[in-house]
Amino acid sequence: MSSALQWINRAGAWGVKYGKVLFASRFLPVIGTLATLVIMLIFGQIRYSGRMGYSFVSLPVLTALLQNNAYLIVLAIGMTFVILSGGIDLSVGAVVALTTVVIARLLPVGVPLGITLIIAVLVGTAMGLLIGVMVQSFGIQPFIASLAVLFLARGLSNVIGVDENGVVRSLAIVHEGFAKLASWSIKFGEGRAIWRINASVLIAIAVLIIAYLVLHHTRFGRTVYGIGQGDNGMAAGLMGLNPERSKIAIYMISGTCAGIAGVLFALFMQTGFCQHGIGMELDAIAAVVIGGTLLAGGSGFVLGSAAGVLVYGLIFVFIPREGLDATWSRIFMGVILLLFVLLQRAITVRGEKRSAGHGAKKPQLASKKASIDEGHRDNRTEVNDE
Amino acid sequence: MSQLDPTSRQSVKAPNFVIQVFTHRLFWPVVGLILLWVACGIALPGSDTAPGFWSITMMDGHLFGQIIDILRAAAPILLLALGMCLVIATGGIDLSVGAVMALSSSVSLSYLISSPTRETLPTVLIAIGLGLLTGLVVGLFNGTMVARLKIQPFIATLIIMVAGRGVAFAFTGGRIESVVSPPFKFLGSGFVLSLPTQVVIVTIVAAIVMISVRMSALGVLVESIGVNRQASFLAGVPASSILMLVYGLCGLLAGLAGMIYVAPTMATNANAIGLMLELDAILCVVLGGTALSGGKFYLSGTVVGALLVATLPKAVIYFGFPMQITPLFKGLVILIICIAQSQTLRDQFARRSLRRSVALAEGSPS
Repeated sequence: MSSALQWINRAGAWGVKYGKVLFASRFLPVIGTLATLVIMLIFGQIRYSGRMGYSFVSLPVLTALLQNNAYLIVLAIGMTFVILSGGIDLSVGAVVALTTVVIARLLPVGVPLGITLIIAVLVGTAMGLLIGVMVQSFGIQPFIASLAVLFLARGLSNVIGVDENGVVRSLAIVHEGFAKLASWSIKFGEGRAIWRINASVLIAIAVLIIAYLVLHHTRFGRTVYGIGQGDNGMAAGLMGLNPERSKIAIYMISGTCAGIAGVLFALFMQTGFCQHGIGMELDAIAAVVIGGTLLAGGSGFVLGSAAGVLVYGLIFVFIPREGLDATWSRIFMGVILLLFVLLQRAITVRGEKRSAGHGAKKPQLASKKASIDEGHRDNRTEVNDE
Repeated sequence: MSQLDPTSRQSVKAPNFVIQVFTHRLFWPVVGLILLWVACGIALPGSDTAPGFWSITMMDGHLFGQIIDILRAAAPILLLALGMCLVIATGGIDLSVGAVMALSSSVSLSYLISSPTRETLPTVLIAIGLGLLTGLVVGLFNGTMVARLKIQPFIATLIIMVAGRGVAFAFTGGRIESVVSPPFKFLGSGFVLSLPTQVVIVTIVAAIVMISVRMSALGVLVESIGVNRQASFLAGVPASSILMLVYGLCGLLAGLAGMIYVAPTMATNANAIGLMLELDAILCVVLGGTALSGGKFYLSGTVVGALLVATLPKAVIYFGFPMQITPLFKGLVILIICIAQSQTLRDQFARRSLRRSVALAEGSPS
């Protein structure tokens, strides 16, 4: 009896110890995302399971979710880097379109598949480099710099993405190797319970792991978080990091991720079209915000962004199953975004109150000042001038 | 905070008037617009059969011509850009205006479609009022999020940008329906004083906004919030109320822009109305010399920016390029103007002219 009590006590102490770490305010938004994901899965399990042994939370459904959203995961990862540094990249949707068009145009001319895909990804990198140079060397705000590249990439894909008669249309990618790559998958299970992992999912997971390692285990990763602290990388620079070069690299990473996402999207759609990916940048930004990354920069995790994409993807699974019009998914998206933004806000306010209560002699004044500070900083999301 | 940096202005105060003109915020946008229009004039010289770019003809007491067309196209963009300019001056951004256009026009036209007396003036006025109200409500929602809940403007307005079009779609049932109502159509294709109605409306609205902002302290208060919200708050500026006002105005103007935009065709299309126009509006503001970081704003520059943005797609056609090249052209123009007015180049220009004037002073000591 007593040993059981001891165990409960020990478990309780363990829970408190790690709970404190888990619920520290920098993890709270991500916890919120994961909780939402779990709640949504439970909702799906209760609502859609049961018929003929069908279970919603099962590997076939979940891997299908991953397959359908692999490109968005990669986009969101690139966007996370940019947003962590306090910037924004609006060009990614247009870069995805450009990449698909480049693939659709290069493959029929006889360029080998591997080289085509590398060129396609490098096109994204080049677009990112352009934004990075504009932001870093000319002091143009990321919003405008990436907006210019949005138009450039969209225009380029319009120019390239015409068929042999010069008509803009969706170009089917007809290539044996490409089709093989698109349909390649590792199969698991048997019969109804069959589930598979395809190349897109593997690439997305690989990108996720690399991004995690880069962000949390390299100097560059520290610099990304440092630039996002609202002082435009000054503190990071004083610590001996190199915020200038890192800033260009951040946009190159985002561009590269957009290039990879473009390849995945081309594999997914099997077409190259200059109208692909309109508004996709907003999907990516929304996913990152739902994933718990603060738009002001400096706080957030790539794993959260991946979870954000899955929350996003689940909405698009639920809406048709509920028999609702596809337009409802936009409304639900907005509602979920609203809830998450309010949650984040509540967390920041709580964090401020707590830190004010610990430190200052006049807690009330301090908390007021902190909240004004915060409001001020919120307002300066786009500030990235030198 | 480039526009707050006094070095560029002060260091070039010495030389002469030319330098001051060159480094004026409006210089590059105006030069861009003039160059573009001159190029259009050369590309479209006009002949006996087709009128040129610059020709404006009077027909039945109505003015017609390419310039008038550009003004017409600039009208809704300018309405968005005026509100956007004030929002950006407070250090914020409003991504929702395109969706607000879709929403307000859907609400307004849905009312018209459901009303049996849709051709009478009072009904049309109610429809327009409903549309404007929609815009105002959405604007105040944005304002509440930003001012009271202190949520970043980008994300606060992103919510409506994502959801607004869905709501508009739900309103119209996803159908593209058109309606016949001459008084409403007058908004989009009528003429007042031989100018298109929307041009007259926008001119009046722009004048009211400019005068009320610059003749009162409002403009300075808005700028003070954008420069430093904390300092302006401590100095007694009612920051929250002003933010509400600015976002509300932005929404209201977006609602009006929706009416004007939809009036020529009178067709509800929640998917296409105002799509990506929020980016065009932001572009107008930035091309007009207002920095996205907030603070000083230039409504006159915004007007020039709107004309520039409205000219670009037409210029592509005048130059004989295929239509689909427009974004590329747009991107290049933004790139060039932004780099031309970037702080780095201005500093270099200022440094060079300073060096020249110093060399001049050393050469001939007075």
